[in-house]
Amino acid sequence: MNKRVQVWTLIVAMTAFFTGPSRAAEDVSLLKDMTSVIALLGLPCGQVVSVKRLGDNDHIASCKDGNRYRVFLNAEGRVVAQKQ
Amino acid sequence: MSDSSVESHVEEQLMPAMRIAGLLFLLLTASCAWMERTPPQSGAPQGEAVTVEPSKSRPAGQSVPKTDLPDAKTPAKVPASPVPAEQTRKKESATPGPGKPGVPPLDLTALETRLKETKAIGVFTKITLKNQVDDLLDQFRVYYQGRSKISLAELRQSYDMLLLKVLSLLQDGDPSLARMVVASREAIWGILADPAKFATL
Repeated sequence: MNKRVQVWTLIVAMTAFFTGPSRAAEDVSLLKDMTSVIALLGLPCGQVVSVKRLGDNDHIASCKDGNRYRVFLNAEGRVVAQKQ
Repeated sequence: MSDSSVESHVEEQLMPAMRIAGLLFLLLTASCAWMERTPPQSGAPQGEAVTVEPSKSRPAGQSVPKTDLPDAKTPAKVPASPVPAEQTRKKESATPGPGKPGVPPLDLTALETRLKETKAIGVFTKITLKNQVDDLLDQFRVYYQGRSKISLAELRQSYDMLLLKVLSLLQDGDPSLARMVVASREAIWGILADPAKFATL
């Protein structure tokens, strides 16, 4: 019984170890994506430090300089960044 | 059966599974390390001319600030040729101007595909760039219809700015594609600045 617990602990630990970094990589790429979008739209931001997902293609991006933008895809297929 | 014998029996059964699991994790770790070191994909062959292909239609209605368009209020701050000297040198050495012998044909489709597939630019960024390319194309359409107050020189500035944005996004993540964009720069401008060629877009 003790061995089984050890095996399951190992499996859970390994799963967490390998899934954690991939999620973090996704987060980093989304932060970079939002930073690029806001810069391309000519809005002040600096760097996006956190992103909150509101829905499909709809996010709230918080910038290093304190600005927050809702970045979403509108009905016309354009990316819009609305200051919050 | 005593507890110790049950434990040893379970241990015997689990040992091969543990070895296999350990081996699998080793393989997984090795493959992850390999993936991290793999350079960004590049679909088109080296040396192939690549261009930024703007989409042909643009939806009506705009709610995005057009900070980079020619009608923006800060054209004076933009240098006439904002491309860094190093990139200009690369362009000159890599690709002669359009019309010169030895210039590979401009493959707009290949460039469009590579820009769509590159992982150096995020999805939202790609859509934003596409919006801005569409805006620039609209400026050209208005210009050729004679309804624009913008000069061709101002359109060139906007074009250069947009290309710089693309290059700044590509240069770290997909340098080969960035080089191809630089190499195709004058060829694309040749199409945009020629009303007959532009009409075929």
